[in-house]
Amino acid sequence: MALFEVFQTTFFLALLSLRTYQSEVLAERLPLTPVSLKVSTNSARQSLHLQWTVQNLPYHQELKMVFQIQISRIETSNVIWVGNYSTTVKWNQVLHWSWESELPLECATHFVRIKSAVDDARFPEPNFWSNWSSWEEVNVQDSLGQDILFVFPKDKLVEEGANVTICYVSRNIQNNVSCYWEGQQIYGEQLDPHVSVFHLSSVPFIRKTGADMYCEVSQGNVSKGIKGIVLFVSKVLEEPKDFSCETQDFKTLHCTWDPGVDTALGWSKQPSQSYTLFESFSGEKKLCTHKNWCNWQITQDSQETYNFTLIAENYLRKRSVNILFNLTHQVYPMNPFSVNFENVNVTNAIMTWKVHSMKNNFTYLCQIEVYCEGKMMQYNVSVKVNGEYLLSELEPATEYMAQVRCADASHFWKWSQWSGQKFTTLEAAPSEAPDVWRNVNSEPGSHIVTLFWKPLSKLHANGKILFYNVVVENLDKPSRAEIHSIPAPAKSTKLTLDRHSYQIWVTANNSVGASPASVIVISADPENQEVEEERIVDTEGGFSLSWKPQPGDVVGYVVDWCDHPQYTLCDLQWKNVDPNATSTVISTDAFRPGVRYNFRIYGLSTKRIARLLEKKTGYSQELAPSDNPHVLVDKLTSHSFTLSWKYYSTESQPGFIQGYHVYLKSKARQCHPRFEKAVLSDGSECCKYKIDNPEEKALIVDNLKPKSFYEFFVTPFTSAGEGPNATFTKVTTPDEHSSMLIYILLPMFFCVLLIMIVCYLKSQWIKETCYPDIPDPYKSSILSLIKFKEKPHLTIMNVSDCIPDAIEVVSKPEGTKIQFRKSLTETDLTQPNYLYLLPTEKNYCGPGPFICFENLTYNQAASDSGSCGHVPVPLQPSPSQLGLMISPENVQKALEKNYMNSLGEISAGETSLNYVSQLASPMSGDKDSLPTNPVEPPHCSEYKRQMAVPLCLASPPPTENSSLSSITLLNPGEHYR
Amino acid sequence: MNWRQGRGHGADLCLPLPARLCLLTLLSPPLSSAAPISPAEPISQAYSLALYMQKNTSTLLQTYLQYQGSPFSDPGFSAPELQLSSLPPATAFFKTWHALDDGERLSLAQGAFLALTQHLQLVGDDQSDLNPGSPILLAQLGAARLRAQGLLGNMAAIMTALGLPIPPEEDTLGLVAFGASAFERKCRGYVVTREYGHWTDRAVRDLALLKAKYPA
Repeated sequence: MALFEVFQTTFFLALLSLRTYQSEVLAERLPLTPVSLKVSTNSARQSLHLQWTVQNLPYHQELKMVFQIQISRIETSNVIWVGNYSTTVKWNQVLHWSWESELPLECATHFVRIKSAVDDARFPEPNFWSNWSSWEEVNVQDSLGQDILFVFPKDKLVEEGANVTICYVSRNIQNNVSCYWEGQQIYGEQLDPHVSVFHLSSVPFIRKTGADMYCEVSQGNVSKGIKGIVLFVSKVLEEPKDFSCETQDFKTLHCTWDPGVDTALGWSKQPSQSYTLFESFSGEKKLCTHKNWCNWQITQDSQETYNFTLIAENYLRKRSVNILFNLTHQVYPMNPFSVNFENVNVTNAIMTWKVHSMKNNFTYLCQIEVYCEGKMMQYNVSVKVNGEYLLSELEPATEYMAQVRCADASHFWKWSQWSGQKFTTLEAAPSEAPDVWRNVNSEPGSHIVTLFWKPLSKLHANGKILFYNVVVENLDKPSRAEIHSIPAPAKSTKLTLDRHSYQIWVTANNSVGASPASVIVISADPENQEVEEERIVDTEGGFSLSWKPQPGDVVGYVVDWCDHPQYTLCDLQWKNVDPNATSTVISTDAFRPGVRYNFRIYGLSTKRIARLLEKKTGYSQELAPSDNPHVLVDKLTSHSFTLSWKYYSTESQPGFIQGYHVYLKSKARQCHPRFEKAVLSDGSECCKYKIDNPEEKALIVDNLKPKSFYEFFVTPFTSAGEGPNATFTKVTTPDEHSSMLIYILLPMFFCVLLIMIVCYLKSQWIKETCYPDIPDPYKSSILSLIKFKEKPHLTIMNVSDCIPDAIEVVSKPEGTKIQFRKSLTETDLTQPNYLYLLPTEKNYCGPGPFICFENLTYNQAASDSGSCGHVPVPLQPSPSQLGLMISPENVQKALEKNYMNSLGEISAGETSLNYVSQLASPMSGDKDSLPTNPVEPPHCSEYKRQMAVPLCLASPPPTENSSLSSITLLNPGEHYR
Repeated sequence: MNWRQGRGHGADLCLPLPARLCLLTLLSPPLSSAAPISPAEPISQAYSLALYMQKNTSTLLQTYLQYQGSPFSDPGFSAPELQLSSLPPATAFFKTWHALDDGERLSLAQGAFLALTQHLQLVGDDQSDLNPGSPILLAQLGAARLRAQGLLGNMAAIMTALGLPIPPEEDTLGLVAFGASAFERKCRGYVVTREYGHWTDRAVRDLALLKAKYPA
């Protein structure tokens, strides 16, 4: 067997040496020519794919050969590329080689030929090239079809910044072809009459859906179609940044990176880049499903070092980054858990937590942060499994937030996330006495003491203050101390104390205990209020107060004031000042401009008695007065008037009133002596008088002209200016003589008034005197006439002498009156046989006036028949009836005339007349018949006119006695015959 | 396939009442009723749908062009020379068109809308590939396809009512060029959306003629 093997080896070596010799001979004599060259195309890749074999290659021999390839375009002589391709060639091997054309293959015919040479170290002789193969023509154009225009390359994918060659093939050279790249026309170079080429250099990324290039074919002005391509320009793939891996549990590695731009393109031309993780020690690979992180399972516990390569890849490019690390150096611990606080007391607490167990001997470095009201404390502690830390120097009754995070103590890589919890320390008794102040109002027999205190700061309260204890002890007489408990959050209390000295203790209390007491003493004497007030000004945002140092023992000073003096609850504030100080600055945001602040400075004696030392008042900023005084005009004469505004309060103003400006406007150009000219804000001129004393609240404006028009306006002023603008008040001085007129008119008026009152009071007497209801015949003027006529036998009947025999009351309805009147008119024509006592007048409606001595009451028959109803006489008002309307002279004349006439006739006719008089009830008919009668007789009874009744009409004819039944003689024994 | 149905449903919800009615007509089998149906009602329904479709065709075309980039998105873009051999042109000589009888007229429209539904599907697929982030265009293409299908159903109902034979559904697209370049696909979509409008206009005229002929 061994012999056979030796033989076989010997034979093989002999054969090989023979072959080598043969090949040398062949190589020298028979060139190894490439044969069977075939060229195919890949339009999408714009590549020519060559395949060939090598002729004359010895059997089973490998030779290193170099092939030279020539590529021509359009024609064989136009060689556009020459290159060598070296490879080891085996016997009968088909060789492949590709060439990518920048010009789309469809746009030009390509020619390819190849030659070869041996490039093997075994043949050190100078090489000689074989002959060129024959040109292989590549013509894709012919297979395009019959369309009028083609544009190439179609849907090419390039990277941003690449150079791209685009071409079109136009079938008809008559056609006009215009091409546009993203809407902009571009011009190319003509490759041949049918083909034009466009070189786009450094194409930009435009959009994911590709950039458009199209060509429009037209013949003349007629568009024959458009053809185009979409060029897919991809963004350049970036190298992943911040690539790192870490573990939380030594089981999984979590690798993260920043992927950079997404190079995905539309139309599925290119998906987003892929990421692959490759670990070189284990040789494992993993395609990551997420674009920025990937998990890697740790399979071998022994492997500590990892060499990761992250490969990002798209269709155009591949980028990679590499990291080498030790697993134990990349530990990102999981969050601590079960954070708790034990033994929490006033100032201490024990914080405990747990960490996830790792490998043996793994030590954590944990960091604790404790937060409280903006403050933070940090502690570091080393932990194996359970963490514990004593938090000390805490404040009582305070909420703390404590959190912990951990990292690998031996190789710090990264802190874990925080795990935290809140806890609150326990309360302690308040550590400081409350700051207490008081306000004392003395009333008869008592003091009203209002105690104020400031809430303790959190630092001193040591918990929630629940109430304040106020203990009041009478210092003058032994008695039990009073205890008042005031629940928080009250800040004051009011006590009514009698006129003794009292010591008051105030303590703040929380759930644990009471604070030290604050002591204040109220003396039995009333407070010294007789302290002058001094004005101060605010300087640089605060009131600077100073006072005289007090002799004797002063343990401190207190300055108090109200933040809001304008309100009832003025918010009393106070400031404690060191006993050595004699000045302080009061500054607070509460101070407002235009508000007067009053400060009181007290000295505190060793006995804790406060004594008022000084008073200060001032404004943080003085403002102009907010209102003007209400001015009264007084003592107005023709030459002067007085303005007064005595009710104007200078205290409640937004500044110290320094005085007043009185503006006066008049028609006169010249100002009065004490006034000066001033120009108002509206540009008008007036006269101004300045009063410098704020308490002088009146002004006499004199030297005025009578019957003149003046306007005035009074406004106060402070250091900040005058009061608001307001309208001027108008005053007109009276006429010089008008007063005189008043002196005359007024007494006259009163005189008239007096007369009227007297008249009213004596109206009865006047009435009786001047116009009695029943005229007294004795007073009648007729008497004088009678006397004048000297008819001694004539006498006047006294009414009181009449004895009425009967009274008949006649009540006539309205209709009857009218009828009655009508009948009267009718009877006018009938000419009754009345005795005409008075002469007729032409203006009367009837045939002639006459006096009818009528008694309708008694002469019933005459009345009913209407024979005597017609009474023309009443149309002529009787003298007595018109007495008040007409002048007495006229009346007198008329009476004289009438009486003269009537009496004359009577006397002439020797007529015997019976004078009839009766008391009769009123008749409305009389009123109708006397429309001009202005004075109506009283309703209750009416004295009928006296009438003379002619004897002829007296029916039955008068006899000595028989007439007594119907006619009463006016005066028995003295009646006419 | 499920996804396409789902999309169709989504588009259906956006349709107004007349369109929904028409789609209901499509869903209910037109031949199930034994009683002879009056042609007036399906003609009226088809006419309403065609009128509604007509209002949206220009919007569809404009939306489509807006998403395709230059030259399609250029203002006033028009390329009447672009045609698709698989899609019958809507333009016809008026005399020829007028001379058609009801059966021929409906048959031509039926064929065209059948082709349009298939082409709109193709364009929708293309655009969901090219413009995945443009739901508006995809929704409009989906809605147009659904309406074309609705009109087809209405036309089938009219033909049934008129006693005309309903042409069998054919694969008008035939062997579609899946390897078409992006630009070719954009052009194809343009022609389809344009012809959809033209055929809708023509269908309105066709149905108006029928409506006049078969009053309610």
